[in-house]
Amino acid sequence: MPSTQSPPLLGAAIDPTALRPAIDDAAIERVDRAQLHARLAQLKDQGYSMLLDLGAADYPAREPRFDVVYHLLKMPLRKTGVEQVGKPARLRVLCAAGEDEPLPTATDLWLSADWAEREIFDLFGIRFEGHPDLRRIQMPHDWEGHPLRKDYPLRGPARERSPRPAFALKSNVNAGTPPSGKTLEALSEQIARRAAERGPGNGERNA
Amino acid sequence: MSFTALSPEIVSRDGTSMVLSMGPQHPSTHGVLQIMLEIEGESIVKAEPEIGYLHTGIEKNCENQFWTTAQTNVERMDYLAPSSNALCYALGVERLLGITNDIPRRAQQIRVLNAELTRIASHCVWLGTGGLDLGALSVFFYTFDLRENILDMQEAAGGARMHPNYIRVGGVNGDLPEGYLERLDALIEKFPGRMRDLRALVQANPILQDRMVDVGILSPEEAVQWSVTGPSLRASGVAYDVRRAFPYSGYEEYDFDLPTRDEGDSYARFLVRLDEMEESMRIIRQVRERLEPGPVVIDDAKIVPPPKETIALSMEALIHHFKIMTEGFRVPPGDVYQSVEGPRGELGFYIVSDGGNHPYRIRTRPASMYNLQALKGMAPGNLIADLVVMIGSMDPVFGEVDR
Repeated sequence: MPSTQSPPLLGAAIDPTALRPAIDDAAIERVDRAQLHARLAQLKDQGYSMLLDLGAADYPAREPRFDVVYHLLKMPLRKTGVEQVGKPARLRVLCAAGEDEPLPTATDLWLSADWAEREIFDLFGIRFEGHPDLRRIQMPHDWEGHPLRKDYPLRGPARERSPRPAFALKSNVNAGTPPSGKTLEALSEQIARRAAERGPGNGERNA
Repeated sequence: MSFTALSPEIVSRDGTSMVLSMGPQHPSTHGVLQIMLEIEGESIVKAEPEIGYLHTGIEKNCENQFWTTAQTNVERMDYLAPSSNALCYALGVERLLGITNDIPRRAQQIRVLNAELTRIASHCVWLGTGGLDLGALSVFFYTFDLRENILDMQEAAGGARMHPNYIRVGGVNGDLPEGYLERLDALIEKFPGRMRDLRALVQANPILQDRMVDVGILSPEEAVQWSVTGPSLRASGVAYDVRRAFPYSGYEEYDFDLPTRDEGDSYARFLVRLDEMEESMRIIRQVRERLEPGPVVIDDAKIVPPPKETIALSMEALIHHFKIMTEGFRVPPGDVYQSVEGPRGELGFYIVSDGGNHPYRIRTRPASMYNLQALKGMAPGNLIADLVVMIGSMDPVFGEVDR
């Protein structure tokens, strides 16, 4: 069979839907932020009564940088047999969102959007206007930064700074963490500082 | 996650009600769940589950792993049903690679076999611990004995009891080991008798019925509104099952029923899961009969490392092995949503690839999280003791809720 190996495309993940729209058995739709709530309400009226999932992805090279993804399922709101359920239609709605561009909440349409929106707020820092109780859900409530952003380091700022963190420390605030977004700068400063401490002799040896 | 983070209305008191924190170290919360309860006497006015105590950043970790090694993390989300997670992830990546139709038939059959075995094992834990919640200790020993047989088989196939990592992108990791099918036959023979014992022990038990009947009722509308899936949705009368609605791995070939109930209470969810265990065994028997000899991985050395024996003999095999182990394989750019029917409901992965050898983003649809969220709608108006039954009947796994 032909090889599936292809070279990576630069910035390919900026808009995945534009690249391979036909890969899924769901219809895919991209909606503008201003029309999002009206469109979702319209879809709900058309029978998409279950919000299967609500997730997000970060594409830092793009403006606005986030995609919020709604997975909808057409499901009757009553007792239904196997034949009546059949192959329900699935729909994926994508909407771009920025750090300072909140999205309208979907909690008034689907109760289940509650925790999903809280999770997106917690891990990406996208705000949802009109959410009744928008606070952190997975991370400790006083955590700084949003871990699933691409510029958030893997080990977390507190651990990047000190090799042996105090495990009793529940939050990273006291460790003097720079807010997310400045973390990479802080790290490069640290690397530069260490290189300066090491002196030119060691640097030559490494080179 | 702590008192100060609570929503204001739940800590406010008007004199008649009080706020009680249940968990996160409560034995009946199946892990680390905290529920802030506003109670009037013994009855619940409002319940606000607080999750996140087991958050380990699996999704973030996956972004920094190869496509192959990320699967090891993915299996650790729902630690009671690792094969379901692995299957869902492998199917998603295979769709991005465009090799879905090339998976050999024997590999698909082994995948179905493992997915159904893991479902039975997971329901065994649910039934055993659910029995413990209600004070029925002996159920635990019956179910964990049955589960131990399945874990032994997982260990034989994948090398580990809990996280076998047996289902891989492109097939499964090696053929079924020697003696596996004999164990499977023994399990198939043992299962009906064990289910009879279990049903005799719990199903007709009047004490358990007293605790579960009419507790935590979810109407079909509520269940759909809260995005409840899996056995809990089918116990409310909606026969939605991913295996039927969007078949994968050849599920359309097998003959099985979807047990449904109309009551939507805890007892209905309990009965649906018991019936589901028997339906799973029905599928396993069919797989056993139809199991065909043949390859268990696709024939593409760029994705699946060549067999160990060939490495010492073939230079090409050695190079392929080295390349896959050191830099993994690349996946064409795109995004895909793949779901499977896990023991707790629709388990889905929204996978984005940027064309590199790491996943760009893996978003899980955690079935447990959505099921658990429905507690907010179910709990008010019930007694605290019934809340324990409700949590047990929704069967949350906190590895998956918090990830």
